[in-house]
Amino acid sequence: MNLYLKLLSGSLRSRMQYKMNFLVSSLSYGLIMAVDFVLLAAILQRFDDVKGWNLYEVGLLYGISSVAITLYRVFGVEIHNFERYMVEGEFDSLLIRPVSPLSLLLTKNLDLSRIGGTAQGVIILVISIIGLSIDNFDRFLLLLYLPISIASGVVICFSLGLLTATLAFWTQRIKDFQTFTLYAPFNAANYPMNIYPGWLKIIFFTVIPVGFMNYTPILYLLDKGGSIWNLAWPPAVALVFLFLSLRFWYFGIRHYHSTGS
Amino acid sequence: MVYWILLQKSFMTNLQYKVAHLINNAASAIFGFVFIAIWAGVLQGKEQSSPYDVMDMTYYIAASQCILWLSGFLTAGLNIQTGVRNGAISFELARPSNFFLYVTSQEAGRLVYNFFFRSVPIGLVFALTVGFYVPQHFSSYLFICISVLLAIIISVNLHYLVGISACWTTEVAWAHFVNFTLLAGLGGQMVPIDFLPAPLSTLTQYLPFAGAIYYPVMIFLEKATNDVIWIQLFWAITLTLVNLWITERARQKLEIQGG
Repeated sequence: MNLYLKLLSGSLRSRMQYKMNFLVSSLSYGLIMAVDFVLLAAILQRFDDVKGWNLYEVGLLYGISSVAITLYRVFGVEIHNFERYMVEGEFDSLLIRPVSPLSLLLTKNLDLSRIGGTAQGVIILVISIIGLSIDNFDRFLLLLYLPISIASGVVICFSLGLLTATLAFWTQRIKDFQTFTLYAPFNAANYPMNIYPGWLKIIFFTVIPVGFMNYTPILYLLDKGGSIWNLAWPPAVALVFLFLSLRFWYFGIRHYHSTGS
Repeated sequence: MVYWILLQKSFMTNLQYKVAHLINNAASAIFGFVFIAIWAGVLQGKEQSSPYDVMDMTYYIAASQCILWLSGFLTAGLNIQTGVRNGAISFELARPSNFFLYVTSQEAGRLVYNFFFRSVPIGLVFALTVGFYVPQHFSSYLFICISVLLAIIISVNLHYLVGISACWTTEVAWAHFVNFTLLAGLGGQMVPIDFLPAPLSTLTQYLPFAGAIYYPVMIFLEKATNDVIWIQLFWAITLTLVNLWITERARQKLEIQGG
């Protein structure tokens, strides 16, 4: 842990050498995500709700999902860009260090420009929680549960990212898979799962379990259905999925062949 | 003709990655399904208060997901910024060929590839699942071709503008982000611009972004008058002239620095 903090602060300091660039890029990244939400707000302003979910309720799902993926993008940047290690053959240099490759990758770099996206997600969450018409006790419960939901989301996202990165041991390039395993599912998780056709729902509750992170618990917390067990699902799914992805990662490393050049 | 050869070569380069691209197409179709699901959910039971019904919006999203690969997802800055950073730009600008055509013809090759290996497969997926609109009037096909061509010219120029700005700023990542957001948001990728709130819905009709996505889609769906092509034409010409002028300024700036 001590080592982790030391490595992180190092990468933080190197980032802050370019303050202006950092500010502009995080602002623009936050802005992009905001435009997306403003468009959604424009639709819901006109049509009130999407299958029974009003703007603030969708905002809750949207906020959780975007905070989760952007936190992954901040901390998991080297996992996310893992194909570089395969294509440029840099992975060998990680294997000979005394620390596990995964911890090295996690501490090597932070992509702080994505913090703008996290901030924007938090702002949407705040607006939504204030705007919701529920009593204060429910609001309190919601606030209490929110960190669990977000943490589960980050873990699910990280696991998906790691699973995709592991594919690089065989396929070298993974950028095109990421659209499939990360961008599209997290975009879908911005909205309530009940709007999707059956086969998409099956995907989002099994192989790419993004539905669990926000839809399942919020359904119960907003009194839209489900039981108290809905609150247990997100952390449980996240942990199981993390375990599976780690297993796959170590399986991948064992099968890694260097380019040898 | 050197630009024609550049176009062909860039087409061939892209051909090397077609398997990865086909996987990416599946993701692109899923994005489309998500947008369609949102619209179906929003419009359910409220179709009388909307100018478009669920089927209209399905066709709209399906068509816009296809055209995105021709006028939305272009190379960031058309890679001009790479040349600026490693200095190759000084040679490229000094060549006897036209720099603007040199860059854009390579992108054109990629877009021709995108048409066959991105737009068409994605369109087929939609056609087999949710349905794909087939224009009814024979004359529409002519106008669709013109409108899509102008959309490509507008978008290539917007991306060129981002790329050439690297001569002054060196870093274009954020400019590309902003450009793409405006293109997708104000261009009507997910929300037809007439659905936007009041002042914005009028204003965006006259911006170049609508010319890149919204107008060609609406002409394809036979929901817009063909007059909108004049707005597209205006932007295609204006942006091209602006870019030629800026390229000249960039060349002068380069000469001043001297190397």
